[in-house]
Amino acid sequence: MIELALIASVPLLLAVEGELVAERAGMINLGIEGMMLFASMTAVYAAQLTGGIAGGIAGSIAGGIAGAALIALVFGAFAIHLRADQIVTGTAINLLALGITGFVYRELNETFTRAVPHIESNAIAIFAWIAVPIVLAWALWSTPFGLRLRACGENPEAVRAANFSVEGHRWAALAIEAVLVGIAGADLALALSSGFAENMTNGRGYIALSIVIFGRWKVKGVLLGTALFGAAAALQFAMQAANHGIQFHLFLAIPYVVTLVILCGIAGRVRAPEGLGK
Amino acid sequence: MKRIAYGIAAAAISIALLAAIGALFGHRDLFPILIGGSVGSPFALEGTLLKSVPLLLTGLAVVIAFRAGVWNIGGEGQFIAGSLAAFLAARYGIAAALIASILAGALWASIASLLRIWRNAPEVLTTILLNFVAIHLLGYCVNGPLQEPSRMYPQTDAAAVALPLLGTSDLHAGIVLALVAAFASWWLMYRTKEGLRLRAIGYNPNAARTAGVNVNAQIARALAFSGAAAGLAGGIELLGVTHRLFERFAAGYGYSGIAVALLAQLHPLATIASAVFFGALVTGAGELQRAANISSAVATFGQAIVILVLIMFGSMRARD
Repeated sequence: MIELALIASVPLLLAVEGELVAERAGMINLGIEGMMLFASMTAVYAAQLTGGIAGGIAGSIAGGIAGAALIALVFGAFAIHLRADQIVTGTAINLLALGITGFVYRELNETFTRAVPHIESNAIAIFAWIAVPIVLAWALWSTPFGLRLRACGENPEAVRAANFSVEGHRWAALAIEAVLVGIAGADLALALSSGFAENMTNGRGYIALSIVIFGRWKVKGVLLGTALFGAAAALQFAMQAANHGIQFHLFLAIPYVVTLVILCGIAGRVRAPEGLGK
Repeated sequence: MKRIAYGIAAAAISIALLAAIGALFGHRDLFPILIGGSVGSPFALEGTLLKSVPLLLTGLAVVIAFRAGVWNIGGEGQFIAGSLAAFLAARYGIAAALIASILAGALWASIASLLRIWRNAPEVLTTILLNFVAIHLLGYCVNGPLQEPSRMYPQTDAAAVALPLLGTSDLHAGIVLALVAAFASWWLMYRTKEGLRLRAIGYNPNAARTAGVNVNAQIARALAFSGAAAGLAGGIELLGVTHRLFERFAAGYGYSGIAVALLAQLHPLATIASAVFFGALVTGAGELQRAANISSAVATFGQAIVILVLIMFGSMRARD
């Protein structure tokens, strides 16, 4: 069951890790929900184009990353370049992704109802739970680039005074987020599900944002937060399996209630990056 | 004046873009169907006005919250809470049902202010998470305790009361209530001390605090007012249009309210015009799905484009 919980929370974990990087650079990306949804769609589409098992897997991951990157481009253009309010921009992006995926899904229905190649989830799980955390912890806390990136989140003025580009570092953070969220979208659609479905992310992006806060913007913290959430979700499935009937709908609410409880667990002791959202 | 011009331009650009994308996918008739299905006949116009009512109220909910600097993205959940309360209170009469919807919306939103003040949890996330909780709570109710006695479909029976209809049309008295709410919000925000404080914490919370405003209490009241408007939207939609509750009852009205409020540049009276525009878009999109098999999700896409175009105009203005 532990293994199942670890595998089922892979898309969430990748989103959490991507958002951790973005927030450390000073951006709250509420549009991560739409980014993952759009990536799920482009991943499935790319897998259909490339075809075959091996080509399908490589294609879907490349497609997912490309889709997420496209959304990141929109977010960056507005939030970094135009300095628009990040929450308003993120909200608009979620509506945009919901609208586009809904429209395209109906237009290209034949493509999306065809069977898709299945991604074996173990390799991506090891990538998400072990490789990414090690690389992120090293890159963010042990390299000059990571120091500057975090400075963009704490004190962007100081970064400018030292003659580095805040915009450049934030774009880099957004690119890292897009890669991770793109893989998350591919994993969601092709490893955990058998294709794309409308609004299939179901709030995972918002849960990811909550876990980043719970984890106090630290790699160990967000890993713990995702593990806790994954355990709660696995428990929900086990209870659901043992208990048929109406209560099914109440079980569906559990992940969101758990996330609300997780958000409350931080009570006053959080210190967000100073420059977050500015 | 310039703000009105920007708003009209943003609305026009979004429709033009929709038509262009439709053409790209081979739907040259997208634009005529969209217009015909929303304002092309008395029947279509009636549909547009009916959709404008919940959008006006959820739009007002967002205007009130955003003006106070409070990120209430939870209109969807407050809408559902309001409709559930209205359904339960309907046996005590129409007034009781409407009041119940207002109170339930305010209470559901207040969970978020409680979590923010007590546990420092950001309302932008808690309000969204509460949407999902409300959606599944509604799913539970219409499949369980509130399901119609015949247990045929996952829906309730018709509510015990309904809003009176205007003349021989399908339009209901909720239109009047929504317009009253728009003027009341304007009066609250611009003609009362409460409104001054509300706008002050949105404009500069530190200055407001120095001036003696209890910022936390003001945030809580702003969220309650905001949730009340969204809750009333749910109550009116139930008692005036659907009469029954079902799983997809909220239909995105809560999220659409954000686009409605932003197109109105967060002004309560401009929200009326903005709600009619998006009401037409949603109604026309429904016709697109029925008549041309084009997903009604194009309405959501249009909302996103309006917001993004307004941001671009806003940054142009900042550089003037």
